Amino acid sequence: MIILADVMFVVLILITILGALTTVLSGSLIYALMGLIATMFGIAGLYIYLNAPFIAMMQILIYVGAISILIAFAIMLAGPMFKRPKEWSRPIKFISGAITACVIFILFLNVIMRTEWTTIKAEPIKTTTKELGRALFDRFMLPFELISLLIVVSIIGAIMIALYSRKER
Amino acid sequence: MTTGYLFNNFNLYLFLSLFLLCCGILGIVYRRTLIAMLISVELIMNGAGLNFVAINRFLYPDKVNGQVFTLFIMGIAAAETAIALAIVILIFRRYKKIEADTLKEMKD
Repeated sequence: MIILADVMFVVLILITILGALTTVLSGSLIYALMGLIATMFGIAGLYIYLNAPFIAMMQILIYVGAISILIAFAIMLAGPMFKRPKEWSRPIKFISGAITACVIFILFLNVIMRTEWTTIKAEPIKTTTKELGRALFDRFMLPFELISLLIVVSIIGAIMIALYSRKER
Repeated sequence: MTTGYLFNNFNLYLFLSLFLLCCGILGIVYRRTLIAMLISVELIMNGAGLNFVAINRFLYPDKVNGQVFTLFIMGIAAAETAIALAIVILIFRRYKKIEADTLKEMKD
C-alpha cells in the first residue's frame, strides 16, 4: 500500500539528488546556484520528516534566504557570465574527481553497511523548540557564544577586505 | 507502529548525505571557478547537517544534540561564505577573472 507520506518523501529525495547533480554538472554558474537552492529545499523537507521542524525553518531562512542570496550577488558582481567559457574543465579533471568520489563512496558505503546501528524502533519523542533553546543556552552556552563571535569577526573581516581593496585602486 | 514506512528507513538518509558528500568532492575537483567550488562546499555542509539530524532522530531520539550541532554548522557555513565571497570579489577586482587556474602567481 502506497501512502502519501512515502510518495512525498521520494519526491523530496529526487529533488535533492537532481539538485545536487545540477549543481555539480551544469555548465553555468547560475544554474549551479539554482541546483543548490533545490537541494536545500529538499533537505529542509527531509528535516521535517526527521521531526526537526525548527531546523527545517532555519535551513530555509539561513541557507536559502541568506547564503544563496550572497552567492547570487557574488555571481552578479563577478562580471558578465555569458562571456565566460563554460564551466566544464578538462576531462582528465572530471575523471580524477569521479574516481576520488567513487572511492570515497565505496569506502563510506562499507562503513555504513557494516556498522550495527541500534535504531530505536518505537515512536520517537518529539523534541520541541523549547528543549532545543534550553539546550542551546544551557549545555552549549560556550559554543553558541563562540559561533556568534565567529560570525561577527567574519562580517568585520569581509568589510575590511572590501574597504582595503577599494583604497588600493 | 510506523516502522514499515519508507521515511523511517535510517540507511536512506545516510546514503543521501553520502551522495551529497561525493557530489561536493567531485564539484571541488571538477569546476573551474572559485564560486562554483564554494557552492560545492555548501553541498558538503548540507550533507553533514542531514547526517547529524538523522543520527539524532534514529539513534538518540530523546536528545537534541544533533539538532544543536546542525545549527552550529549553519552558522559556520554563513561565516565561511561571507569571507570566501569577499576574497573572491577581491580576486576578481585584481585579476578580472574568477577561474582557479589564473591564481598561479605564487606557484611560478
